[in-house]
Amino acid sequence: MHDARDAEDQRLLEAGEYSALVESYYGVIIRRCQVKVRYGDPVDVAHEVVVRLMSELERGRRYRVPLRVVVHQVTTWKIKEHLAGGQVSEVELEDWMREASTEGTRPVEELMAGQGFEAMLAGLTELEQKVIRLAYDDDLGFGEIAMRLGKESNAVHQIHFRALAKLRKERG
Amino acid sequence: MSEHALEQLFDEFAQAYLRGEGPDVSAYLARAGDERDDLGDLIDRFLQAVPAQPPTEEEIVLMQARLEQEPPLLLLRIRRKLSREAVVDVLLRTLGLDPAKREKVDGYYHQLETGLLDPEPVDRTVWEALSDLLRANVRALAGLRSEPPPALHARYFCADAPARFESTAYKIDELRSEPGPEREEPDEVDVLFCGLNGT
Repeated sequence: MHDARDAEDQRLLEAGEYSALVESYYGVIIRRCQVKVRYGDPVDVAHEVVVRLMSELERGRRYRVPLRVVVHQVTTWKIKEHLAGGQVSEVELEDWMREASTEGTRPVEELMAGQGFEAMLAGLTELEQKVIRLAYDDDLGFGEIAMRLGKESNAVHQIHFRALAKLRKERG
Repeated sequence: MSEHALEQLFDEFAQAYLRGEGPDVSAYLARAGDERDDLGDLIDRFLQAVPAQPPTEEEIVLMQARLEQEPPLLLLRIRRKLSREAVVDVLLRTLGLDPAKREKVDGYYHQLETGLLDPEPVDRTVWEALSDLLRANVRALAGLRSEPPPALHARYFCADAPARFESTAYKIDELRSEPGPEREEPDEVDVLFCGLNGT
């Protein structure tokens, strides 16, 4: 369903036509913002998404996931950031981008292939399990997880990183 | 609203979106009433799952206007490669205005284009003439800001929106209350652009 669109995105990306590329997603970005932003102006949040995407692309950032996945993830984060009054850490976006550009998919989804969520978590500590559940079951960012667990965002990132390393080791 | 009605509303939105009709999310959410959050979740998941439809002309203009911090209407005219004089010519002709009022129309259009004139009281015939000429929903673009607010994360940053038009409102009030023989009576151009009717 997405093949033609992904191919066109890739063409624009390679041609360096970043404005046209982001512009082609603006309709969906602004609609998602209109759906979720209940106070303030959805256009402002959509603008934040655009600025972030343009900045990423112009810095030469490349992803192994299709651009549409990145667009939707950035949109989701910016909406959450807005709803949280700007309390969601910007760092988590960088984390996700790094993972997305090296793993090709969300790391836990890749590691889960062929086994259930609970079975996969069995070898982790209670805290690591909590972080993984909040990140992937509840789809929370590191900033929100940190608030829930009463920890620093960096600490949550480390726990997450450690948990993924354990899971990878178990998967061999 | 029953679950069936909600699903029908969602289907209506989804089909309109896939047909490239650019459905207005706000209108659908309003129709959902108390179920707006449920409908919103359905729409949000749907939009993430299907290929993005091309943006409308208004959306493109709005995005570029924000990036370039230019008023949307001004940017739209530039995209159409039209001079302000050409727009004023069309307004004079279409609205059947006296050519002697050209300077006044030009002044009002300039204010409208640059976001200095409250679009609310502007007459429907002005919007229709502009929409035909500029081939876009000009009314929708006219009320939008070209720049993000200074504190984007402030929860209620929209509360200052009416202040943008204070200067225009002040001028209108001044015009209405100006005493003495020198007071200029609102003419047809004032009526069209400011809703002034001499009252």
